[in-house]
Amino acid sequence: MPSGSLLLQGLALGVLTGGLYALLSSGLSLYFGVMRVVMVAHPAFLFLAAYLTYSLHNKAGLDPLLTILVTVPLFFAAGVAIQRLLIARLAAETMAMMSVLLTFAMALVIEGTLGAVYTGSFRSINPEYATKSLDLFGTQLPYDRLIGFGMAALTLAALFVLLKVTRFGRSLRATIQHPQAARLVGIKTERVTGLGFGVGLATAAVGGAVLAIITPFFPAAHWAWIGKLMAIIVVGGLGSVQGAAIAALLLGVVESLVLVTVDATWATMMFYIFLFLTLLVRPQGFFGGRLAQRF
Amino acid sequence: MTGLGRRFGKPALVLLGAALIASYPWLVPNSYLVYAGVLTMMFAGLATSWNLVGGFTGYVSLGHSAFFGLGAYGTGLLITRAGWPWVLSIVAAGLGVGVFAVIVGIAAMRVRGASFVIVSIALVAAVNLLAQGWRSLTGGSVGLRVPTQYGELTRLEAHYLFFYLFMGLLALTLLTWWFMDRSRFGTGLKAIREDEDKAESLGVPTAGFKVVAFALSALFVAFGGGLYAVWFRNLDPIFVFSILIGSYMVLMSLLGGVRYLFGPLLGAAIVAPAGEFFLLRLGETQIHLTAMGLLLGVVVLFMPEGIIPAVAKLFGLRRPPAASIREDTAEQRATLEEAAVQ
Amino acid sequence: MVKTTRVRAGLAILAVVSLALGACSKDEEPAKNASGPIKIGISLPLTGDFSEPGKGIKEGYELWAETVNASGGMLGRQVELIFRDDASDPNRVVSDYESLITQDKVNLVFGPFSSRLVIPAAQVAEDNTMLFVEPAGAAKEVFTQGFKYLFYAAPAVANDHYNYLAEYILALPADQRPKTAAYASLDDPFAKGTAYGLRDKLAAGGIKTVADEVYPPENTDFAAIAARIASKKPEIFVGGTQFEDSVGMLRALQELKVQPKLVAFSTGPTLPEFPEAVKGASEGVLSPVGWALNATYPTNKEFVEAHKKKFGKEPSEDQANGFTVGQVVAAAVKAVGCADPTKDCQTKLAEHIRGGKFDTVVGPLSFDDNGRPEQAHMIQQYIKGKVEIVLPKSSAVQTAELLFPKPAW
Repeated sequence: MPSGSLLLQGLALGVLTGGLYALLSSGLSLYFGVMRVVMVAHPAFLFLAAYLTYSLHNKAGLDPLLTILVTVPLFFAAGVAIQRLLIARLAAETMAMMSVLLTFAMALVIEGTLGAVYTGSFRSINPEYATKSLDLFGTQLPYDRLIGFGMAALTLAALFVLLKVTRFGRSLRATIQHPQAARLVGIKTERVTGLGFGVGLATAAVGGAVLAIITPFFPAAHWAWIGKLMAIIVVGGLGSVQGAAIAALLLGVVESLVLVTVDATWATMMFYIFLFLTLLVRPQGFFGGRLAQRF
Repeated sequence: MTGLGRRFGKPALVLLGAALIASYPWLVPNSYLVYAGVLTMMFAGLATSWNLVGGFTGYVSLGHSAFFGLGAYGTGLLITRAGWPWVLSIVAAGLGVGVFAVIVGIAAMRVRGASFVIVSIALVAAVNLLAQGWRSLTGGSVGLRVPTQYGELTRLEAHYLFFYLFMGLLALTLLTWWFMDRSRFGTGLKAIREDEDKAESLGVPTAGFKVVAFALSALFVAFGGGLYAVWFRNLDPIFVFSILIGSYMVLMSLLGGVRYLFGPLLGAAIVAPAGEFFLLRLGETQIHLTAMGLLLGVVVLFMPEGIIPAVAKLFGLRRPPAASIREDTAEQRATLEEAAVQ
Repeated sequence: MVKTTRVRAGLAILAVVSLALGACSKDEEPAKNASGPIKIGISLPLTGDFSEPGKGIKEGYELWAETVNASGGMLGRQVELIFRDDASDPNRVVSDYESLITQDKVNLVFGPFSSRLVIPAAQVAEDNTMLFVEPAGAAKEVFTQGFKYLFYAAPAVANDHYNYLAEYILALPADQRPKTAAYASLDDPFAKGTAYGLRDKLAAGGIKTVADEVYPPENTDFAAIAARIASKKPEIFVGGTQFEDSVGMLRALQELKVQPKLVAFSTGPTLPEFPEAVKGASEGVLSPVGWALNATYPTNKEFVEAHKKKFGKEPSEDQANGFTVGQVVAAAVKAVGCADPTKDCQTKLAEHIRGGKFDTVVGPLSFDDNGRPEQAHMIQQYIKGKVEIVLPKSSAVQTAELLFPKPAW
């Protein structure tokens, strides 16, 4: 029987990891919401951002967290460009198949380029606080995770403000809910979609910077994240950022608790078990509210 | 133009093509090219099997390699643990996977479009995890080794044998596609692809039909996996359960044209050697991945109907546009929409 | 009318294609070119998961070829290496060797990296009765497949990597000897094999296994595993790791404030990037290593010098393993007097290796009937930021005494 302190430690780590998952999957929800695009390349962009953070840190001496000042605008612009120039060319009926393949192609292109430029070596950023942790009544909270959680919370908060308060955010939510109706009330959905994509990719920039601090990475690292992040957004409710955030926290905690009580394989398997449960019980996801899409 | 030419033109061409393909192993100068031929033949079969569900229903499964891997492992385990003869193992494993696919399909096909894609990705990731985690059964990441079942044959002779076995499986799959295309079952599936809700309201048993298509497709893919297990003899879970294999199936079908009988076969004949070519020429760094990615991107953006329509256009053989609105391009519809809004 | 034209066009194309293909006849006879360069075929993971060590081994092979050619080549013929990238993919590695052997008709083959890739590759070589000396397939499964032409060119197989350490621990007096041990391994045949080898010996000697974790290769989160281990408070920690997981695991153990008296990781600490990646925490970390920079084995010093000259940096174990493969094969070729891809020659080479003893940069090597090397790996430890060889004690290679217990992180 695992001890109470072990469970508490597992819980603490789970919350911190869940926050990170929430940050990483928020972008995915946006892409899906605005254009029903399955953006398989999102993890690849995450690691592209991680590599850029690494380069900026090493060449320009920038603190990894400050690099997002550079990468976020860059990725935002890239997101808009990708949506306007590439995704918008795809026919709506075959969007599912085509967008998956197109974004899959993007992931390959990114991985290939990263490998050619940086070689296959593992890279990591090792800030001074990397191995220290905060001791909270016997439970250890690693500093790098805390920072990651903090960044995630800040970014998600900013995202919520954007979505709920600003006019753009309302347009975005309207477009997600019902594109034709949105057009009817005068929202320029093409523009909004492009900007929405940009926001999604901008979250990848932040996520990548955080990943760079927490874990070593290599060009092919993104494959491992696709399955988990996809599971999160389905459980949360496709298209709903808040749904994804809640599901991410939940799954992060579940994974961590299973990891400290059973083993690593079962822990990762929980993502897929939850996914299939969602399909059987409530295909539109559990936490999505009105924005959650079934298809 | 004589009646004979018109009647026997196309089937004669097909038979000649088949004869040429069948003579491939005899015509190439070394064992490596025969080996490459076996792989291409295998992928042609896998892509055609994928197309049984992807092309007909429009449900895109990126995780079909789950069935490939399960067929391979199932066969391997039946041979090594239960001591069954290999032909029986392949058939039994395939049927088992088919049943599994029915169960999975019932759950997975409750969602459509992009959600279904996500679910298929999760499926292969989950099965991969299971194969690596259940070490006592599958050997974990070490993989499963299937002892040679055709002891007396040399390596080259084994390549010949499996070339024809894979070709036979491909023929079976093509035949299935052909029959489906002509049947009411196939028509129902195509209706699902066009507009599932309307099809359902018109009385097409959509839930049942699409699960059957899914299971059939999984069945043939699993047979392919089983043959692979006996031929290749080394099953590595990271390889047989990878998203990349599933993506190749989709890419090949797409490139060749998902609506054509020989589309996936043609796609396989182009993509498999192209992959080898890229790796040979550019293999010093990861840039060959970029080349593959660009090829895929170009196909998706500029040739979404596949290569057959593009080439057929060259020979002036394009059929008149079909009645279905799905044949419109994005530009045509955008023009229509703009006109409507004004 | 259009259809007749199409049929005719189709027939014409088919006819031309079949004529073209028919012009090549099957050429299954292995080449017996008595002159010209000796071509050696190699498939390595130059991209993908194993690309780092793959490149290291490539450098080792290249250096060996240069060294051999500078002194007149093998049997008076220059050596030419042909590399293929298998992208860490077992299907590709089979493709590569199949094409190297049957299409390029190489004289000899050298092995790839990783036990996962070595087994399917060795199958190709075995089916073609080609000698297969490999630098990096050490898992026990490699040697139980019945391969008669395979040899692993390093001191010991995976399960024996920690032998000297096991000996040392069990020889400690009872009041100093640790009582509990925790293990965490990557689910990889080699990495796991090393940890399990040590685990079995220690368990047999009475040291309790309080944790035995295995994590899948994609795992990047070691904090939870470290939490599990922390709750057991082990006195020994052994990581059956490869590269970045050793760094991740070590950092996680630090974060969870685990303080064992003895810490060992496989592979990771032998890489030059390790101390930088873990900052000061490398102090006291043990690792099995097959090759040592300052070992005084004949040919090692020249190897190190030549490597520094060619690549501008010191070699590490990967380059040494590659170089060793070359040395063993070169010695066999010289002794047997042939380098043809014929069954006769390759079998003679294999028999010679099986029965011989070879001087290499990793020391003297000899092999058993299944291709296993019969020596043992050394144990290195980071002491005051430097790599020292601490075991075997009182041997020519030892450079410092083993630091025990490990200073706290």
